[in-house]
Amino acid sequence: MKKLLMLLLMATPMIISAQESPAFTTRKTFSRTTSVSTMIKADPAVIWALLTNAVDYKRWNSTVISIEGDIAPGEKIRLKSTLDPKRTFKLKVKTFESEKRMVWGDSKGNRTYLLTDKGNGMVVFSMTEKIGGLMFPLYAKYLPPFDATFDRFAADLKQEAERISRNDE
Amino acid sequence: MTTSGNVIKLQPENKNNPPVSENFTTEFERIRPALRSYILRMTASAADTDDIVQETWYKASRNLDSFQGESSLKTWLFAIASNLAKDHLHRKKRWPERVTDICKNAALANPAFFGEAMHLRMTSPQGNFEIKEHIAFCFTCISKSLPLEQHIALLLKEVYEFKVKEIATIMELSEAMVKYYLHTARTKMIEVFDRRCALINKEGICHQCTELNGIFNPKQNAQEELAKIDMARAAESADRERLFDLRIEVLRGIDPFESGAAALQLHHLEHNRKVMEEYLARTQE
Repeated sequence: MKKLLMLLLMATPMIISAQESPAFTTRKTFSRTTSVSTMIKADPAVIWALLTNAVDYKRWNSTVISIEGDIAPGEKIRLKSTLDPKRTFKLKVKTFESEKRMVWGDSKGNRTYLLTDKGNGMVVFSMTEKIGGLMFPLYAKYLPPFDATFDRFAADLKQEAERISRNDE
Repeated sequence: MTTSGNVIKLQPENKNNPPVSENFTTEFERIRPALRSYILRMTASAADTDDIVQETWYKASRNLDSFQGESSLKTWLFAIASNLAKDHLHRKKRWPERVTDICKNAALANPAFFGEAMHLRMTSPQGNFEIKEHIAFCFTCISKSLPLEQHIALLLKEVYEFKVKEIATIMELSEAMVKYYLHTARTKMIEVFDRRCALINKEGICHQCTELNGIFNPKQNAQEELAKIDMARAAESADRERLFDLRIEVLRGIDPFESGAAALQLHHLEHNRKVMEEYLARTQE
């Protein structure tokens, strides 16, 4: 029993870190993957509304310059990010499972948003972007690092979703 | 119909009840002024407002048996009216934030507008011009730049003082989504007024209320009039959130159909509605 408790205590930080993790990047020969996750005390509907309301992004998300188009199943959007302000990314919303999972991307990569409802008003938000393909080694060195931007995205989302959810009147 | 606390229970029409109970009619008439001003603030049209309010009465009186008393009668009626207004506005474009600039230019190019307005000013018992009435008018026009769901949530919460739970019932949404709409609507309106309104920001680009006051009340000292309005008095000391709350207090104190400036403001609103319909029909904005 004592051993079991010890094991549980040791495992707890690992469980927490799996739910809440600063951005990190994994590099392979033909791909690069950046992920971030954070625990948010808010209704999944609020987080989902923030993630899918294109015109509202600029107000709360310091990493987005603009998003044009509807963030809806099968729709195309035009995203300008602080990662590369001169460039407009033309992306397609490929997966759209309301309040659960969304994927948008192009031929080079995909970004996946995942919401996991933990109960008690807590939601784990994770965001992963994988860029890759046969040509990836040729342009890999020109890609800016995503980690800092991912951390800011997650922090902005957490702050805004929790601010909205605190309004109990 | 029986009354229990704030919740009114309506009995369906049957052999023992008249087609529309007297109590329902009495309650409806009590709620009608709020309902009417709410729909006017959504549609910006007095004629459409009266149609929608009439339709609300008709629908409610024909569906009394579906009212289970789970909400107040007021909430139920606002839900019916909101749905009718939403259907009416569904295909219409939202107005741009700079609606008052566009409409001012149209008014200046239309000599008949000021002629009619001055005639109302001189002849109508509701033809006064008051700055605070124009503040409410301005809010009605600019809030039509919000997405429809945000507009409805904002009016219900801030002006008609419904609780989030009641708004969720009226709008058939989760409370979380109501909070989202309220937050985004309020944030946007605060930002628009902070940028535009010269009453609260010296750099503000819009002086229309004081300009019109000079036209309709040439002998009046605008500064003295402004000093009577809490929002204008607090402009330099209060933060943007507080100034927005004070603006809302102005709205809450005005019935756009019954105030001393109603005729003039409704004339002005009808002008803006027509200008906007023409403007939106010829632009992509």
